Amino acid sequence: MKMKIKAIAVNTFKESARNKMFYLLVFFGILFALSSKLISFLTLGDAMKVLKDTGLAAINFFCILIAIFTGINLVYKEIEKKTVFNILSKPVSRDQFIIGKFLGLALTMLTALAAMAGIFFLFVLVNGGGFDLMILLYFFMLFLELLVIVALSLLFSSFTTPILSFIFTVSLYLIGHIMWTFNEFKMILRDPFWKYFTQVLYYLLPNLDKFNIKNEVVLNTPLSPWTILFSVLYALAYIPALLAVTILIFRKRDFQ
Amino acid sequence: MIPGRLLAAGCLAGLLLTAGMQNRYDATFDYFAERGTFVALPSGKALKVLSFGYSNLAADLLFIWSIQFYSTPYLTNRFDFLEKVYDTITDITPQYKEPYIIGSLIMVYEARDIPMALRLLDKGSRHNPDEWFFDHDAGYYCYKFLKDFTKAEFYYNRAAAKPDAPTFIKRLGAHMVYLHDDPKVAYQMWLDIYNHARDTLEKDAAFNHLYQIKAQNDLALLKERIGMFRNRFRRWPDHLSELLGAGLLPSLPSDFAGSDYLYDPEQGTVSAARVFRWKRH
Repeated sequence: MKMKIKAIAVNTFKESARNKMFYLLVFFGILFALSSKLISFLTLGDAMKVLKDTGLAAINFFCILIAIFTGINLVYKEIEKKTVFNILSKPVSRDQFIIGKFLGLALTMLTALAAMAGIFFLFVLVNGGGFDLMILLYFFMLFLELLVIVALSLLFSSFTTPILSFIFTVSLYLIGHIMWTFNEFKMILRDPFWKYFTQVLYYLLPNLDKFNIKNEVVLNTPLSPWTILFSVLYALAYIPALLAVTILIFRKRDFQ
Repeated sequence: MIPGRLLAAGCLAGLLLTAGMQNRYDATFDYFAERGTFVALPSGKALKVLSFGYSNLAADLLFIWSIQFYSTPYLTNRFDFLEKVYDTITDITPQYKEPYIIGSLIMVYEARDIPMALRLLDKGSRHNPDEWFFDHDAGYYCYKFLKDFTKAEFYYNRAAAKPDAPTFIKRLGAHMVYLHDDPKVAYQMWLDIYNHARDTLEKDAAFNHLYQIKAQNDLALLKERIGMFRNRFRRWPDHLSELLGAGLLPSLPSDFAGSDYLYDPEQGTVSAARVFRWKRH
């Protein structure tokens, strides 16, 4: 069973790595991260802060794009090109197919992130920033966020078209970063039904801001180990839940 | 089929043409003047929501824009939203220290609005309670521009109480006490600094201040008693010790270095060996 999943994962990784869009986005991610130096020239005071801010934001943005673009296409393409018949006609279950796809995408994201992060670390070092362990922690948290995004895009990709998957994933990504407003919104609601509904949405939708430690990393403000632990546990619980829903939907799909 | 060279030449010509047009277009209006007005800026909270997790970047970009905007001297109405702009930036990332410092500098030196700068620095101090430089800057603006030495003393003392505050801030606080004419309290504060000085520079600075405050008090007393002596005996005393004999002083004061004050029996004047004009208003 493990070998089958591994084979699908490796194949997914190779397929993603062959995609020109992947290289283009990695290239632009690196380019924008390096161009943060130009923006830092415009500021007064701590230029390193601006350099790290813009660099990390660029890497974050392009990694999210890679996660979405690769995630929304993978399963859909297999169905569209009918290659899924080929795979599923072999002794490979639908569950293994989805898990393999997810792991392959995770490996793709790890490669893209490692490339961008490595270059960014060098760039900060060259600019006199020194090796900052907190940035490494930031990349780890970003990787967790990317895994959630990949799981989301895979979920949508399993039952709808790439355009709709893109819209849904981007919407959830944006909402996921303003989940803190739900709690405030709940406070101003009077109707108990809507209060309850908002509360349910708060727990149901991905709270991606849990993985956002950019401010703490760049401003060197203290970060509680509990926050990190909670975020890791959140990802460890949320991703399997998303994969379980994806598998359930994929099991029900009738391929013509 | 169009030859490749012709296509390349066409592309180059097109690029040159658009660059020329862009250049002509830019020359027709004043870019900076166009930026002089802006209708509204969303609140810090709204921007935090709209930045979708990139709040730090949003604060950076707004801060960088503000530096360029407020350093364009010929825009007369550019200070209309100054406080709002820096409030927004610091609402998005309250721990970002530069906007407080740079914003207050613009408010003081460009907009000439010291209370506005103090409000911003107070906010910085509130959100970053361990940083001393917000209160230090606020103290300096109160001293330099408002001549409000009591307020300046309050800020300097608050800054001095913070961790890692440099020792000179305590000295500035003591100087403010002196400036708002409370030499007795100032003397005690300087004595404390002198006794707990961690280096020669600090000890010497405290010594100078102690010397001056003591000399100022002692010389005022001696002048008064010399005047009383003259009124009583119709002459200046030959030596300061004559004041003791006349029962005008219980003992002769000496300066902070332990030396006697200099007395001129011809003029009846008394002075200290070192005189600095360091009390500036």
